[in-house]
Amino acid sequence: MSVAFAHPVTVWIVSATVAVVAAAAAAIFWLSATGRVRPDLRKELWLRLGSWCVLLPLMLGPVLAGREWTIGAVTILGLLCYREYARATGLFRERLLSAVVVLGIVAVNFAALDHWYGFFVALFPLTVCVLAVASIPLDRPQGYVQRVGLAVFGYVLFGAGLAHLGYMANDANYRPLVLLLLTAVALNDVAAFTCGKLIGGRKLLPATSPNKTLSGALGAVVVTASVVALLGAAMFGNTPMGALHWLVLFGVLVSVAGQSGDLMLSSIKRDIGIKDMGVVLPGHGGILDRFNSLLLVAPAVFHLVHYFVGVGAGQPVRVITGGG
Amino acid sequence: MEWKLRPARDLGLAPADRLRSLMRERGLVGMALNAAWRRLLCTYLLVFHRLEVEGRENLPPPPFVLIANHTSHLDALTLAAALRGEAARQAHALAAGEVFFGTGAGAAFAAYAINALPIWRGRTRRGDLTTLRERLVEDRLVYILFPEGTRSRNGGMGAFQPGLATLVAGTGVPVVPCWLDGAHAAWPPQRRWPRPGKLRLRIGAPLAVSAFAADAAGRQAMTEACRVAVLGLSSAGSRTS
Repeated sequence: MSVAFAHPVTVWIVSATVAVVAAAAAAIFWLSATGRVRPDLRKELWLRLGSWCVLLPLMLGPVLAGREWTIGAVTILGLLCYREYARATGLFRERLLSAVVVLGIVAVNFAALDHWYGFFVALFPLTVCVLAVASIPLDRPQGYVQRVGLAVFGYVLFGAGLAHLGYMANDANYRPLVLLLLTAVALNDVAAFTCGKLIGGRKLLPATSPNKTLSGALGAVVVTASVVALLGAAMFGNTPMGALHWLVLFGVLVSVAGQSGDLMLSSIKRDIGIKDMGVVLPGHGGILDRFNSLLLVAPAVFHLVHYFVGVGAGQPVRVITGGG
Repeated sequence: MEWKLRPARDLGLAPADRLRSLMRERGLVGMALNAAWRRLLCTYLLVFHRLEVEGRENLPPPPFVLIANHTSHLDALTLAAALRGEAARQAHALAAGEVFFGTGAGAAFAAYAINALPIWRGRTRRGDLTTLRERLVEDRLVYILFPEGTRSRNGGMGAFQPGLATLVAGTGVPVVPCWLDGAHAAWPPQRRWPRPGKLRLRIGAPLAVSAFAADAAGRQAMTEACRVAVLGLSSAGSRTS
């Protein structure tokens, strides 16, 4: 327990998260008791809060529990996200390619668990090569570009990209950073929604996501970048990343990559013609609908931190395969 | 080149509804569970029932509809176990919803292991048959169904229901008649569990159902032709011919 909460930022983030959930519950209870919300909206609010009460322990718990738990949780998240993507795009009918993507997701997370950076990086081109040739022996050239394109895109997002989040757990002080990313993307969504409602104005990309506004997007950048930069200062104060401009870049990157991931999923859904990727999370939709913002944030932040500070420096490498 | 993004037919259904939906489409997990079940089933049928299959060469590539006499719960399991390759992976038994999909655990087993689709007695709507027809042709499925509609209590074959003809009329999908011997003795409807006993499955030549008109008279003639074809594969039928 003392190890899990060794860093003050970890304590702040967990405390703030618990406080926000408690405040939200109190607010919904007050709105319900005073009859200020319609019954359907009240039900929706309780459903959303209930989903968060299940989700948050599943998100924060593994990170606090340790490296293996974090990587395991990211693996499961990647597989569940891929399942929704494959069913939404129809890629699941291509059993061979789907199996290769699943193996690729497991392999890249294994590389993270092994703390073998060379293999972790090599798996991207290697898996893409396997995906490109795997379906050729089927002698079915019709639809080749589509199925390989979808499979590569799926692996990039839910394997190679998302696994960066798990790989961060190889660092001795990974908890505050991973917790910050998990909560910052949620804050980013809330800030965009709130600023959009309060300020209103021009739509951001009406054909892609009709409810998002330019003011919401900019407001989210300001709010999220400020919070992330502030907490980043407490995490990276004594490193080259501790300079103000790099901390601001860090914060802006989290917000912009988070919103880009959201818009990317909106584009996918609009193209396919569906509203949600699934029905697993009441009030949210599918798992991808909730975690879309993390997909681009994870690799972007990983490489920023890796460039300035390094990830996993001083920790044992190739802990499973040996040879380190 | 045209990109065709075709989401799963059951996308957006809650898990419990999905299990009971005629739109259910399997992913890798469902395929793996069904393949494991088929392996177990084949072993069981070989060891306990010394299953013999004749006429496997008569099976066309999917899609097709496999029909047989119905005297036991072993029937659908045996027909499913007799299939190989793509036909086995695409096989769906059309099963009584009340019996196999009544409880959550039962529905999960029927959906994931047997890969059954539910037919509800007296509650099947016209839209359900349309869905089954569409999926048969578009998804190139194999349906295992028993035109008598229920298990025979005495082992003899009863009248065929008109649903089979309605399902395949106008699709050009062949119907493959089968006869299963020994299932009634091994596991009659009156018994709770099966007992060991020899099973012999005869698979006949596919019936060209496109020869029949899609009107009422044509469907009736098709139903009768199917019944005659199944009966013709029985020991008594073979002796007569």
